[in-house]
Amino acid sequence: MVVLGAVIGLVAIGSFHASPAALAVTTTAPAPTSRSAPTPTTHSTTRSAPTTSSTSAAPSTVRSQTGSTVNYNYGTLAVSVTVQGKTITNISVPSLNDGGNSYSQSLDSMSIPILTKEAMAAQSAHIQSVSGASYTSAGFIQSLQSALTALGI
Amino acid sequence: MTSSILDPATWTMRREEEVMGTVVVLDLYADATVSTDELSPSLHAAIHELHEADRIFSTYDPASALSRIRAGTLDPAHAPRVISDVLELCRDARELSDGWFNPWGLAGGVDPTGYVKGWAAQRALEQLRAGPVRAAMVNAAGDLVCFGVPHPGELFRAGIVDPFRTDSLVALVDLRAALATSGAYERGAHLIDPFTGRAQARLASASVSGPDLGMCDALATALCVAGEEMLATIDSLAGYEAFVVGLDGTRRWTTGFALAGVTDYDPTAGG
Repeated sequence: MVVLGAVIGLVAIGSFHASPAALAVTTTAPAPTSRSAPTPTTHSTTRSAPTTSSTSAAPSTVRSQTGSTVNYNYGTLAVSVTVQGKTITNISVPSLNDGGNSYSQSLDSMSIPILTKEAMAAQSAHIQSVSGASYTSAGFIQSLQSALTALGI
Repeated sequence: MTSSILDPATWTMRREEEVMGTVVVLDLYADATVSTDELSPSLHAAIHELHEADRIFSTYDPASALSRIRAGTLDPAHAPRVISDVLELCRDARELSDGWFNPWGLAGGVDPTGYVKGWAAQRALEQLRAGPVRAAMVNAAGDLVCFGVPHPGELFRAGIVDPFRTDSLVALVDLRAALATSGAYERGAHLIDPFTGRAQARLASASVSGPDLGMCDALATALCVAGEEMLATIDSLAGYEAFVVGLDGTRRWTTGFALAGVTDYDPTAGG
């Protein structure tokens, strides 16, 4: 028997890392797994306070670093990472040369965001793996690690 | 490539191995009484399985046995026995999928690639199962297979990538064995209609769970090409279940699919 999956108001991504088996709608913390999610701000309604010191707090400093250009099986790539404090807020691949062969196209911009998701999900989501997130590349990991090392993370 | 202790308290170990044109991740869960030295033989045997599969079945290496069969320079009768074993499994998958998975239906000669990655990961897992670990998961580029449980009372849980927003998840699945996902969003995927020879996908993505990852891999590819009518076929196979996202964003699944969560479908969002 096949079920039509018009599921009523089930979880958004943000609740994926709620407790196991949680199916209820939650309004918990902003999804740390979303690559575009800004770091949560906590000073939304306090306009009266003229202080600006909170923005210079060291742990929330935003920094970016591009890792070394790495050879992988089908070309070269370099990974750029942005961190706020010690949290990765974005990963991109500004440099990718795959020679245009059919296999390495699988490593192009269509698949790279999946890697980004995986990299951030690894920090927060209570899942062990992602299915369909193909084409992880050792070169990607190597370049990312060099960028993180340069940032002291 | 690398080994590291992720969680010293429970002796969880991750190994990332560059093989088959990707990175295969092996996660091992062992009791505290088991030493890393005791784990080594089964881990090395598992990794050996992956590299052997790559050596024999690579279609990117012209010197592989499979490449030479495809080129007509190696008589299949003189090829490694494992090739005929895999082709026999592919025939089973072709039959069970009503012909929608067909390694003989592609240009360039027989190509069991759609079966081999999952098959190799399954064999790697069997090597781990024979060792001293109490649980393990192998992730071969998004095709997953596991045994045991990561923590007492807690199943392995996997996310399925949203084919329309590949930096997000569309569903969560409790995992007891294997799970493979195919989608047109993966541009490296071989989604060829074997009945027309043309590249075609009738679903945005298809995930199949079941006891064997090679079969899940083949069935997920077949389902993605055939469309949701094939859900009934999958449902009739003992132990196999499926979850699909349609080209219009609708989600459907067989009743036995171990969904632990799914995102809401908003038809106004364009999928």
